[in-house]
Amino acid sequence: MKSIAYGLLALLIAHAAAGETVERTVKAAPDGEVDIVNVAGAVHVIGWDRSEVQLRAEIGSNVEEVELEQRGERILIRVKLPSGEDGGTSSLRVHVPRNSAVSVNTVSASQTLEGVRGEQRLQSVSGSISTEIASEDFQAKSVSGAIRVTGNGETSVRITSVSGSIDLDNVGGELDMNTVNGGMRVTGGAIDRARLKTTNGQLRFDSALKQGARLDAEAINGTIDIKLRGTVDADFDIETFNGSIRNCFGPKPERTSQYAPGSALRFKEGKGSARVRLKTLNGAIELCR
Amino acid sequence: MNSHRPDALDEALSKLPKSVPTERDLWPRIQAQIEAERPGKDARRGFTPRWYQLAAGVLLVLASSVTTFVIMRDAQERAPAVATTELPRPEIAAMPASFAGYRLGEDYTKARAQLDLEFEQRLALLPPEAREKVERNLADIRAAAREIADTLAEHPTDPLLHELLMSTYQSELQLLAHVTQMAPATTKRVQL
Repeated sequence: MKSIAYGLLALLIAHAAAGETVERTVKAAPDGEVDIVNVAGAVHVIGWDRSEVQLRAEIGSNVEEVELEQRGERILIRVKLPSGEDGGTSSLRVHVPRNSAVSVNTVSASQTLEGVRGEQRLQSVSGSISTEIASEDFQAKSVSGAIRVTGNGETSVRITSVSGSIDLDNVGGELDMNTVNGGMRVTGGAIDRARLKTTNGQLRFDSALKQGARLDAEAINGTIDIKLRGTVDADFDIETFNGSIRNCFGPKPERTSQYAPGSALRFKEGKGSARVRLKTLNGAIELCR
Repeated sequence: MNSHRPDALDEALSKLPKSVPTERDLWPRIQAQIEAERPGKDARRGFTPRWYQLAAGVLLVLASSVTTFVIMRDAQERAPAVATTELPRPEIAAMPASFAGYRLGEDYTKARAQLDLEFEQRLALLPPEAREKVERNLADIRAAAREIADTLAEHPTDPLLHELLMSTYQSELQLLAHVTQMAPATTKRVQL
């Protein structure tokens, strides 16, 4: 039945001169999808309780048009630039139904999302990403833009960055995060499963592990700094080829070989319900609680 | 001829295990990688997983080659009287054709060349600053891989180095995939 209500194709094109502000509002499914594309400028998405999508666009110079298109339960907002030309900065403020699945794709535009409870897929080349997430899946990709995520419960998070920093606050559940040179910080939340990987970045984890959790952290030249909150009940497998290991609890690390400089630390705390694996090539590892 | 050599060889062979397990069970990680990149909600929302499948294919070839290498290496270590072939030194160029001295074969090389071609095409669409950052970070990953491979040449049986080298190859593939997936939406004019 939804196809009757939302099945019609609606295409609203806002032709506007530079410096103009346009506003459009369309009916939307309470849990539909909203896709936003903007090259430069800013995107601000706000979840609200109305079944409407409201777009307010401040159009900068060298923008061909801003398009708002409805395809069934999916709404697409796109800032189109003239072919082969640079520039095209626009600032979009978009209100969406709170449970919408939101996808934002930008180049240098910053992204800010608040109050959106649905799934989020965010991608930015160099613009920063700042968002609040709830229990739906979250995915973000960036080359050099910083990514900051504030959670409120458990979810599944996948973040890939090249050189931008990744900062998670109060996000529990499953984490899968990779960066090459960017720093990575996880604070708060209770983790079921986390796979954290960096080549040269600094990795900091300051969270709780749930019963039976699994934490895998790996760095080549970067450092790993782990602080476990709450009761620690885990089996630890920590090894570095050339770095140091410092731990605030458990036995002392041991040299792995008389010929190689590495050391290892393997022990069980409590019943060993969770599993913690920390590995580096040259980076130092610190484990505390 | 040394008359004792056949006996010594028989003795050495009799000590070999019937089967040789790999030091590292790579399959859970590979499976997790494939599962993570399997189209589900992505397909519904128009995200194409083709490149990821290609990358997963390369990863599988790489992983199976590494598994073979580890088995062969273990067998060689456990039968010193038989193992006489010296493995070539590790060689990791921009497009690695070996893993810790084990040649990865033509299938890997072909699939990898295809990935690199697509990556170069997509990379060209990125803004110059972003392109420079990607190239610099890719160079960092490859430098890390070279460092591990060089260290592995000195410590060929270190399982941590094997694990980290495999993981660094994965990081490189992930970066290539990341950029390849990212670039289409960053063209100056959005194609409808």
